[in-house]
Amino acid sequence: MKTAATLPTPWFAPAWLVRFLRSPISTVVGSLLVLVVVAGVILAPLITHADPMALSSDTLLEPAWAHPMGTDDLGRDELARVLYGGRASLVIGLFSALLSVILGMTIGMVAGFFGGAIDETLMRITEAFQILPKLLVAVVVVSLIGSGLTNEVLVIGLLSWPATARVIRGRVQVIRHEEFIAAAEMSGASWLRVLVRHVAPNVVSFLLVSASLQVASAIMSESFLSFLGLGDPAHPSWGLLLQQGQLFLSDAWWLTTFPGIALAMTILGLNLLGDGVSGSRIVAGSRR
Amino acid sequence: MVIAVASRLLLRRALLAVPLVFAVVALTFFFIRLAPGDPAQILAGDAPTPEFLAQVRAEYGLDQPVWTQFLAFLAKALTGDFGTSLYSKQPVFAVILERFPATVLMTGTAMIVASIVGILVGVASAKRAGSHADTLISSASLLGYSMPGFWVGQLLVLLFSVSLDWFPATGMEAARASYTGWRHIQDVAWHMVLPVTTLALFLLTMIARFTRAAMIDALDQDYVLVAEAKGASRNRILWHHAFRNACVTTITVIGLEFGAVLAGAVVVEIVFGWPGLGRLFYDAIYRRDFPLLTGAFMFSSLIVIGVNMVSDVACALLDPRIRR
Repeated sequence: MKTAATLPTPWFAPAWLVRFLRSPISTVVGSLLVLVVVAGVILAPLITHADPMALSSDTLLEPAWAHPMGTDDLGRDELARVLYGGRASLVIGLFSALLSVILGMTIGMVAGFFGGAIDETLMRITEAFQILPKLLVAVVVVSLIGSGLTNEVLVIGLLSWPATARVIRGRVQVIRHEEFIAAAEMSGASWLRVLVRHVAPNVVSFLLVSASLQVASAIMSESFLSFLGLGDPAHPSWGLLLQQGQLFLSDAWWLTTFPGIALAMTILGLNLLGDGVSGSRIVAGSRR
Repeated sequence: MVIAVASRLLLRRALLAVPLVFAVVALTFFFIRLAPGDPAQILAGDAPTPEFLAQVRAEYGLDQPVWTQFLAFLAKALTGDFGTSLYSKQPVFAVILERFPATVLMTGTAMIVASIVGILVGVASAKRAGSHADTLISSASLLGYSMPGFWVGQLLVLLFSVSLDWFPATGMEAARASYTGWRHIQDVAWHMVLPVTTLALFLLTMIARFTRAAMIDALDQDYVLVAEAKGASRNRILWHHAFRNACVTTITVIGLEFGAVLAGAVVVEIVFGWPGLGRLFYDAIYRRDFPLLTGAFMFSSLIVIGVNMVSDVACALLDPRIRR
């Protein structure tokens, strides 16, 4: 039987597109949502000429042609604020997820690989971190050390690694006893080399799922902090816009509706992507 | 018998919780030290008088070595002395206890609603796994899980308070009426509808997702086949055989997500002006009332640890295999 990849494909349906459209529906919808958000955020200057920080006397205008998402209490264009606000949300989400995935992967690999007392200790610490109310910890730390992009990334990243660590540990425990690990150890490779060269490549596909869910959760955490007034006022994120919207909830529905839709779209897209990838062949076929 | 087992388990879990409680207090101390500037300044507020600064310094032993300071902090925290609120000048613990019942009322109701609805939805979709209804429920719960709680609350206010005017948007009771007795209970219940719905929605999606997965797993086991062969009714198999095994997962999820629920309660209380712990956090952040903030944090963390302990014990009671 000929597969889609071997059939000649017309120019409008290249093989990669066919393959993409055949992946689970959640992957397709998830990628499209993320793509739309990322494109909107990056191409913000092309979509609107309005400056997200420019004040004007047109305060609290309802959405209309001149201001598709209305204006806020200081007359700033809400569309521009949503588009540029996404930059802060996405940057914080990406970098704190990166930090947490690296931490989680390292801790999970070490725990799963060495087992015994090291595993026991690391897993107790992981459990403790999972029980602690991480968002409240973040609130206390950011209030004390001050808000700002870097602090938010550090705090969210340092609090979000347990889920990744547990997934990776479980995976490493399975491959720990495979022959290729024993072969590498017998040929005299150091434990560091075994971990980096032989174990790590086999858990990377799991990281893909974890990373996508981590970015979603980090963006959610950031919006939580910003909503409590702990965001960076110099880089207003979606959470900060929602906090401002709260003040005008009964007068200006557009100030909460639009930033919220952007936020929910992004998180839903990333969650769908994580769900889809974990069910698709990317993971199942990773160890062929 | 059950009580004896439960108390033995509770004792053992309590011993496991000790290091965790210690860690929470140590973390809080560490955070205060981590903050830039003088910890005395942080504990004494933005513009303290020199006398007050000296008093705080002496009270917390801040002129002593770090270890002595930590022991003093620990001793105070463990006896419920979280310091004095800079804003209200009241003991932090008293301020927290005053606000706590409102949070318990809202969070407790939300957890009960979310558990009942979440379990029913999870079991129903596991029963028809793979059907259109199951797909629809799964998609809806993923959507619910992807929306920040405070935004859901804002949307509910826009729809049901601002547009339809069905439910009050803020507060816990009618501001201008002083109802008593049954009317008062009705009034509070009326004010609770929207915040409880908001908070329950988040937990509900988690419970439904995990219950569904655990039920699908349980329905696949041999004991279900045996029960079917013996002619047990569909409902008896579902609830007596499968759910009794699946509910360990459900309870674990409720325990593990409790921290997130409490954090959710903070923002939901802000959206709905609910006079509980959440507002306290918010006000403490704004007024830079650090003793209140760290006190509220330690208090909430202890509650979270306690709930996890109870959920652990409940799981062990339900599933003898967990009682090691």
